[in-house]
Amino acid sequence: MSGENQGGAIVPYSEEAKKPVVYPLRHGLKPPISRLGISWSRGNSLRVTVFRQPSEDSENEVGGKAVEVRLDGRDGEISDAQWRRIAYGSVSPFALLQSRKNSFASLSKISSTTSPFDAEWWEYVLEYSKDISSLLGNQTSTTQSLIEDPKEVLKKDPEPSNLKAAWELMESFYADKLSQAWLPERLVDWLADYDSLFSSTQETVHSKLVDFQKDLVSLQVIEDEPKYWEVMSSALAVGWLDIVVKLLRLHGSYQLDQLGNRETENGLVEAVAVLISKMPRMRPELEAGKLGECFKAKPDFMKAWEKWRAQIAKLECSTFWIQCAHRQTQEGLRNMLQIMLGNTNNLCTLTCHWMELYIAHFLYIRPFTVGLESMYGLAQKCIQLKPMAASHRLMGLLIGILGENIEVVLAECSKGFGPWMVTHAIEVLTAGSHQADTLLHEERDNLGGISMEELHRLVYAQVLSSHPLTWQIAPIYLTSCIKQGMGLLEMLLYKQPVDHNQLLLKNLEICRLYELDSVSSNIMKIAGMYNWKHGKKGSGVYWLQQARDEARLNRIAQQMFDSVGRSISDENFRQWEGLIQLLGSEPKTAGGLEFLHNYRDFKKSLLQIRDGKTTDAARQAVESLISLMKNPCTPQRFWLPLLHDSLKLLNWEERPLLNVLQTNLLLNKLQELSIARLRPDFIEADLPPHALSSVRLALATNLGRTTLEEQ
Amino acid sequence: MDKAVATLDKGTTCSSWNYCGQRLATGSTDGTLSIFDSPDPSSSSFTCNLKTKVHAGAILKVVWVPPEFGDAVACICSDGSLLLWEEIVEDAQPLQWKLCKSFESTSTQVLDVQFGVSSTSLKLVAAYSDGHVKVYELLDPLILKNWQLQAEFQNAIDSVTMFRKASCISASISWNPQKGENQGSSFVLGFNSDTPQLNSSKVWEFDEAHNRWLPVAELALPEDRSDEVYAVAWALNIGRPYEVIAVATQKGIAIWHVGANPELDGRLSVEKVALLSGHGGEVWQMEWDMSGTTLATTGSDGMVRLWQSNLNGVWDEQAAFQPTA
Repeated sequence: MSGENQGGAIVPYSEEAKKPVVYPLRHGLKPPISRLGISWSRGNSLRVTVFRQPSEDSENEVGGKAVEVRLDGRDGEISDAQWRRIAYGSVSPFALLQSRKNSFASLSKISSTTSPFDAEWWEYVLEYSKDISSLLGNQTSTTQSLIEDPKEVLKKDPEPSNLKAAWELMESFYADKLSQAWLPERLVDWLADYDSLFSSTQETVHSKLVDFQKDLVSLQVIEDEPKYWEVMSSALAVGWLDIVVKLLRLHGSYQLDQLGNRETENGLVEAVAVLISKMPRMRPELEAGKLGECFKAKPDFMKAWEKWRAQIAKLECSTFWIQCAHRQTQEGLRNMLQIMLGNTNNLCTLTCHWMELYIAHFLYIRPFTVGLESMYGLAQKCIQLKPMAASHRLMGLLIGILGENIEVVLAECSKGFGPWMVTHAIEVLTAGSHQADTLLHEERDNLGGISMEELHRLVYAQVLSSHPLTWQIAPIYLTSCIKQGMGLLEMLLYKQPVDHNQLLLKNLEICRLYELDSVSSNIMKIAGMYNWKHGKKGSGVYWLQQARDEARLNRIAQQMFDSVGRSISDENFRQWEGLIQLLGSEPKTAGGLEFLHNYRDFKKSLLQIRDGKTTDAARQAVESLISLMKNPCTPQRFWLPLLHDSLKLLNWEERPLLNVLQTNLLLNKLQELSIARLRPDFIEADLPPHALSSVRLALATNLGRTTLEEQ
Repeated sequence: MDKAVATLDKGTTCSSWNYCGQRLATGSTDGTLSIFDSPDPSSSSFTCNLKTKVHAGAILKVVWVPPEFGDAVACICSDGSLLLWEEIVEDAQPLQWKLCKSFESTSTQVLDVQFGVSSTSLKLVAAYSDGHVKVYELLDPLILKNWQLQAEFQNAIDSVTMFRKASCISASISWNPQKGENQGSSFVLGFNSDTPQLNSSKVWEFDEAHNRWLPVAELALPEDRSDEVYAVAWALNIGRPYEVIAVATQKGIAIWHVGANPELDGRLSVEKVALLSGHGGEVWQMEWDMSGTTLATTGSDGMVRLWQSNLNGVWDEQAAFQPTA
């Protein structure tokens, strides 16, 4: 696939793959299905409701199913728990790299000499890459038994994963600047670690070794077995030198009782083993236990290589071969020498797929290969000679990398390994290639003005959002998206349920962290309404206050007016009392609250009087009444209920409680009310019909009594 | 990849998930409203906790009221009435679902209803079988009982002519899903009717200054204006400089870009960027994902299809789902 003919697709299709993949949607219902309904849940999980056509025959049949479809593009290779571990683990390396990037960017504004491609920057990227890589599993087994089993030629690796293999490719080619000089050797190591991943679809050197390992225990005379020689040669072809030497040393001629009469034979075996273990390698170092001699500088390596090849050639022409009586040994060893001499035919027969052949080429035919261009050419040649039985996502990725086609690399990452991979791999990709940097950061009109980097982060954030255990880390990625990240974050937060307090608090914490005030006030509004309507009036008021939702708070205050205004004997006054307290006394939060407070005090005093308390309480009640009636905040429709409630005060037996001035004030209010009643929009209070006249009578009586008293 | 989350009763005809996907409301042929909940927010298994008979006839459609106004649903019933039911605790009574408003109409039927939240209020748009559109506004944010009819008009650019004998089979309404304080109210609406002028999807915007609704865009090419509209869906916009609206007719699913700012004549610039064919016949429903980039559709071919635009702005079908037993 080349980048030009894919029409710039995010995931490139070949022409015949243009038709979309059709996935089955299992619902388990008996046909006929009458209709479908769809709804996006959080993130990118889609809920499909399947409705069944009702049939007459059975009573208890099911009428439909709601099915959730996850579109996160993950395969089953990694378990859900492991995946979440990776998702959580990659947050801090990612965030650290972003913050370093930001500080680099601000530095480069000051001095033009600093660019993100500086040496220091490389170290950061490599550190990031190593952190991510370590999350994907440890390749080398950590638990090694103390007593080594001589017949265990192949160490059991802890399940290598395609994801880890892909990440290592990205790291070798883009993040690790130091490895650029010895890329072929890195690929040798890579194949040694991951050849087993190809075994599921075809034979590999690894699978040959696994098979032979099983037979090994039952074999008496190992060197008589043709498979022994074949497996060793294959392993040698792909450079697994330690395994080959270990196998060679299982040769019968090493046994003490045979050493005497098989001296020459044993000498030849040992000579080959020594030559193998002394193979010059163009690399800085080798892992412990691996064989070969390392050379950092190319001239030294070339010199050593020539010498080594000369030694092999010399051994090949040696006369000792005639003295070797064991035919299989003689043939097998000479075959191995041919491999080391770079015999193309041998290499081609002994390897199972192009990648193995490719590695063999690097080791024995073109050990001085450098540069991606020649590596790509060689890969093409090997693919022709030994194509893979089935296409493999790792190979697609490798070809893209070797072909220096960033679009293909991106597409293969996305198609083969999903949104997590692309999002995190972009960091190493842009650090390692100017072309990628430009391609990924270019703002595209067709994407609504965002870059591909941002697009991939948004997609990944959506995947995170679709799971209740991972949505909380989505904001880290969203806030790294300059253009649309905040918009998506707002949507994500809005779609979190408010009816669980812990979740609500977490949600609000995220809002606070990213200064999303309007979102947080909206969330609190929803929480307030939820509580208010579900009988938790106190929490309702609390959240609405937090949200500064004056419209709703005013309505609540209004409802209280209505409720408390009904009658003094109303039992639910006690219920409301707490709420009035909660609503606070700031007139800003809710108008008319001052009134409610006064009203509460007034009612309290009245209750005390009714409970048989003293004249003092009555005096207090009168004061409250007067201040309520004087206050312009007190709604007119409360006047009559207030006065009606106060009848007992107006008719106080011991002595009149109101002076002339106060009585006149109330009479004036009553007069005002009588006029207001004539207007059409007047709301009649819910009181007995004679309420007004009894109040008027009481006031008139009081006026009379108090005038007399004052005189 | 797929997992059953709820099992519905016999006779269920419609369903709707609430804003956070934690509650499912379904309606059935016998007029029963069922509410499904999950025990905790991390669970994705929903069981029916409430069934209440809300109507003598069938429920045809259920729509959740925005959460800022409580837990409530609107039910469109087979006789064309529209009922609002609410979950509420009143006085000392336990939690229950109660009817809080019934919009009844004798001669016409409600075909679709959708709610729009603006900074101050809740608006309800209902499309009727006679081609009329009514916009109601909630008077008290605490109580879903009192609604005021704010406007009534027909889905035509020319507001003078009245189409008296329109007969509509279905209608589809989609509000501009944008949240935020300075966002005005707008929605898109299309009809499937026998009156060509009413069919094509129009974007309606509320003109605060003159307190009226104005058609600001028509989402149909001149030759397609009489096409019956099956469904409309306004995409979420998390930062694009333009709006994206999907319109389904018998010709396929059209993707429209709508400019954000009005031109001199007050109209919004529109551009049809794609016409997708997939479902063959009728499109039942279209839904945009939370980033407004993936469109999910379902229709009479019994499939669910997902659509996306690639880097060159070319729209393609990304995947399809075939329901199987």
